[in-house]
This record gives sequence, C-alpha cells and structure tokens, in this order.
Amino acid sequence: MAERDVEVRNPSGLHARPAASFVKAAGAFAADVRVTNLTRDEAKSASAKSVLGVMGLGVARGHRIRIVATGDDAEAAVTTLVDLVASGLGETIEEA
Amino acid sequence: MTTELRGVPAASGAAIGAPWIHQPAGPQRSARTTVPAAAAAAAAELEALAERLRAEGQAAEAEIFDAQALMAADPELLDAATSAVDAGADPVAAIGDTGETVAATFEALDDEVLSARAADVRDVCARIARHLVGAAAPRLHQRSIVVAVDLPPSVTVELDRALLAGIALEGGSRTSHAAILARGLGIPAVVGVPDLVRIATGAGELAIDGDAGRLVVEPDDGVRADIAGRAAADGDRRAADASFAALPLATSDGHRVLCAANIGEPGEALGAFAAGAEGIGLFRTEFAFAGRSTAPNEQDQADAYATVLESAGGAPVVVRLADIGGDKPLPYLPIPTEANPFLGVRAIRLAASHPDLFPTQVRAILAASARTGRQASIMAPMVADADDVALVRGLVRDALAAVPDAPAPRVGIMVEVPSAVLLADALAREVDFMSIGTNDLTAYLLAADRTNAALAARQDPCHPAVLRAVARVVEAAAAAGDCEVAVCGEMAGDPVGALLLVGLGVDELSMEPSAFGAVKRAVASRTIDELRTLGTAAQVASSADAVRALVAA
Repeated sequence: MAERDVEVRNPSGLHARPAASFVKAAGAFAADVRVTNLTRDEAKSASAKSVLGVMGLGVARGHRIRIVATGDDAEAAVTTLVDLVASGLGETIEEA
Repeated sequence: MTTELRGVPAASGAAIGAPWIHQPAGPQRSARTTVPAAAAAAAAELEALAERLRAEGQAAEAEIFDAQALMAADPELLDAATSAVDAGADPVAAIGDTGETVAATFEALDDEVLSARAADVRDVCARIARHLVGAAAPRLHQRSIVVAVDLPPSVTVELDRALLAGIALEGGSRTSHAAILARGLGIPAVVGVPDLVRIATGAGELAIDGDAGRLVVEPDDGVRADIAGRAAADGDRRAADASFAALPLATSDGHRVLCAANIGEPGEALGAFAAGAEGIGLFRTEFAFAGRSTAPNEQDQADAYATVLESAGGAPVVVRLADIGGDKPLPYLPIPTEANPFLGVRAIRLAASHPDLFPTQVRAILAASARTGRQASIMAPMVADADDVALVRGLVRDALAAVPDAPAPRVGIMVEVPSAVLLADALAREVDFMSIGTNDLTAYLLAADRTNAALAARQDPCHPAVLRAVARVVEAAAAAGDCEVAVCGEMAGDPVGALLLVGLGVDELSMEPSAFGAVKRAVASRTIDELRTLGTAAQVASSADAVRALVAA
C-alpha cells in the first residue's frame, strides 16, 4: 500500500478538464486507487478512476487531498498522481 | 382543429413542419441490453460527437462531450447501476436513479461549477437509457418543428439541421441553448408555451411564427398561406444575404466600413472570423466572472483573452472591461441592493468599492497580449466624463508597469451614458476609439427601461435623438483627429440602423456574426452620398417610425 497527501494548486481544482486528466492517469494503473478530500470531508473517499467520484469530492484550489493505492503498482500510481497534481494537471499554477 | 398558442418570441422567422416531440427516455420501456453495453455505446457516440464538433471548429462544445464520454464510461456509475439491477431493479430506472443520485451530490456541494455539471450527468444517463431500450438516436425524417419541454444540448447538436425547421419549447428562455442555436441557424423559435407538448402530441402539422411568438396547431389554409409566404420570402432573403456575408462591408461606390463581431465567449472568435469578421469589436468579458463562487484570477482570465487574440491573428480585438452591476450580483462581488441597477454602481463605477477587480483584469489582458504578441484594445463601459477616462488610463499605466513586455494597448470607451455624448469633444482627445453602445444609450436618452416590455416601442435606436448623438460623437472624433468611432449595439446589426450609421460617418459596425450578410447587402445597395443625405435628413425626422419610413422610401 502507498499513501501521500498533496495540495491541489491549479486554478480549477479537480473539476472538468483537470479531473479528466487525473482519472485518465489513474486508469493506467492496475492498483486500486482512492482519493479523499482532507479539506472538505476526511470520511468520504472516491475511486481515482471515476470521474464522477473525483468531481463529487468537490476539490477546489487550495484543498489537500490524500491518495491511497493498493496493489502491484501502488507506489508508482501514487507517485505519478501526486506529481501530476503538483504540476497543475495541465493548468498553470499561479503563485499566491 | 386549428388551435393557436402563444409563447415568447425567441428566434425570428416563420415555418411549417411536422411536430417532432422530444420525450426524455422514460422507464415505461423495457431494456433490451445490459447497462455496461448501453453505456459503452453511449460513450462511443459521445466521442464521435466530440470529434465531429472539433472538426467543425467548435472546440468549446467538443469539450462538453469529451467530458460526457468519460462520464458514460465511469466505473462507479456503472457498478452502482449494475448492482441495482442485480438486486432486481429495472435497468432503465436503475441508470436514471443512479445518475440522479450523482447529480444531487454535485448540486449539494455548493459549488457553482459542479452544480452546472449535474445537468451533464443527467444528460449522459438519459443517453445510456436510450441505448438500453434500443431507441434510435433522435432523427428527423421530414421538415420538423421540434417540440419539447426543454431541449438538452446533446439532442440539439445531433438533429439534422437540413430538416430542422423550427423549435418550440414549453419551458426555456430567449437565452436557453436551443434558442441560441435557432438564432445561429436562422430558424424560428418560440419558448415558454404553456401545455405545448400535450397539445402538439399527435398533431399532423404545426406552424411557427418566431417574430410574433405564435404557434398554430393544424393550421388552416389562411395561416398556411401566410406562413408559407413569409417562409419563402425569408428563404429568398437569407440566400441573398448569405451571398454577401464574405464580401467587404462597403457602399456600392466603395466606401468601406470595418465589419466586426460581438462575442461573449472566447470560443466564438474563430466562428466570427470564419463568418467574415474583420475584427472583434466587442468581446464581452462577463463570462469570466459569471457562474463561479470566487473571483477569476489573472491567469484564468489571461488564458481566455489569449484564446481570442490568437484566433484574431493580428486583427483588432476590443476587450470590454467587466460590465457587472446590481442586476446580476455575483457572490464574491457584493453590491448593495439598488432601486435601479442600470443607474447604479455598475461597470467601472465598481473600481472604487472593489479595488482589485479592474487592475487584475487589465493585467490579464496585457499578459495575454504579451504572450501572443498581439496588441489588445481595452474598452471601459459606463464612462461618464474625463475623470472616468483618467481612471482607465491609470489602470492601463499601472498594468503596463507590471507587464512591461506587453505591446501598449489601444484605450477606448463605450459611449452609452448621455453625459459622454455631450462631452464627446473632450473625451475624444483622450482615447484611441469610442464605441457607441446604442442599446443602453437609447434607453438612457429616451428614459425607457430596456427591461420593461411595455416600453418596447420607445426603445428603437433609429430615433432621431440617438442619431443626433451618434452624429455628435462622430464630429467630436473627427475634430480630435486620431480617434475612431464604432457602434456595437444591436442597431449595427439591423440593416436599417446600419444604413443610417454608415451615413452618419461611423468607421466600424460591430454585430452578431449572423447579421453580416443582411447588413452588407443593405449597405452595398446605396452610395455613400445617398447614405449621408439620409443620415442628415433622418436627424430632423419626427420619430423612429418616421426615420424607418425615410430609409424605406
């Protein structure tokens, strides 16, 4: 099992296009990957491979999320997704 | 039996066709395949739709269906629906209920962007349900008037446009997706017709009059002849107009006026240029501020503005600073309740109470300009006097200091407040261009509230008072020297209004791209001397009706 927390800093959070990029990246791994929005509700998680689930977490810019993976390529899945979120999911991150 | 129904006119024109009733797939039909198979078919259809829209240059619309394709393939959605089916639920009901649960979750998150996505979820689940029962994709077989309570975007884009004769809705408004589509296609639309679906179901024929907001079920010979005659005349006129759309906007003796487009979304720019625009004369930026819970940051705005500058490829782009007011307050931009928001703290008058709003927007425009290497034109709405111009000049100066590699923008003002007309000589010396917003100017000059339908007859911009205001602004700009005059109100897109404006000496007409053909054809039918004479005579006419009679003579 692998687990990391990361702050979402791209302007539109995990909505729309960034959510789609995130879900497509997660879908490339065999591991079961789940996401929690620590800022909004620590008790609720969603599959990182479900665009509706990820959007339903309501992750806005500035929210912290936890990515937990279990399975063969769990470590690689978490590293890839954390890097993707940190790099802005295709959007430009504006320094506060 | 002939039945006449009344609604709200939403798109001009007249047509006769068979009613084609759009009914969302309901649980009354039983499934003929499994949820995963139906979902896969729906996802494939959505991907193909996105591809087609991208090929047609409609990138923004394509993105909606990219996202919908991903939703249709969502494993959690399918697992939940499949589990319900395994537990004994009807598959059509299962996908509908699951979608409803997800949509409700989105709506409960108190996030405007996500709330808007709830409609997409419902649209996707309706499509999966359609595949479940094996219903054919919505398809027109003859010239049809499409009838529905409301028409979701996925249905409207799939209908065969050659057979789509008109749209009639029980719900909806002039600004709903279907009404906008109808205006873009040049077909009539009537919205807000009570009990329409029930009455039209089973009818053989429907006549629609989009100008009067009238629908006639089973029209008699008199109505048929009237509508058919108008439809034929409209068809001839449209064909004639279309043949002018790509030509320059010029009089018969070659006096040129710049033909520009009004747009409200970045994605509309490409289509405007394809339709024959020589520039963007009014890029409304309210879209960047609407439908969100926090103010848009500089980066988001710059991305949107850069899209338009890129699409323009060096043609002029006039970006209007946000025209926000108490009529449509935003959650992050509180405006105290006002008795009359159109005479209230709106547009640049917000600069004092919201000190970050315009500096951020002007920096974003210049950042987009620096990124694309294209000069932007910045236009301030609701300018009343030279102090307001100085405020805008100051905003631009400060932003240029922050974005030093941006090309210096052209700076201009909207002329819509009557004081700006009276002070036009002084203002013209301070700006590079003035664009007359004839909708608001007419309302303010004639003291006739634009939102009051009872005053519709007093809102005609062809009124001699408005024409004199335009003439005064043109004279002031000519005296100042280096100052151009444009008109970006609806008057510029009305053939009669356009003839008068060219005669009064404006340099640019900015309008909805769908009006290009009609305006160019009208202007090409007269010489500049004829139009100048007309412009002079119209200023001493007794009323807007008298002016229109003069133009028609």
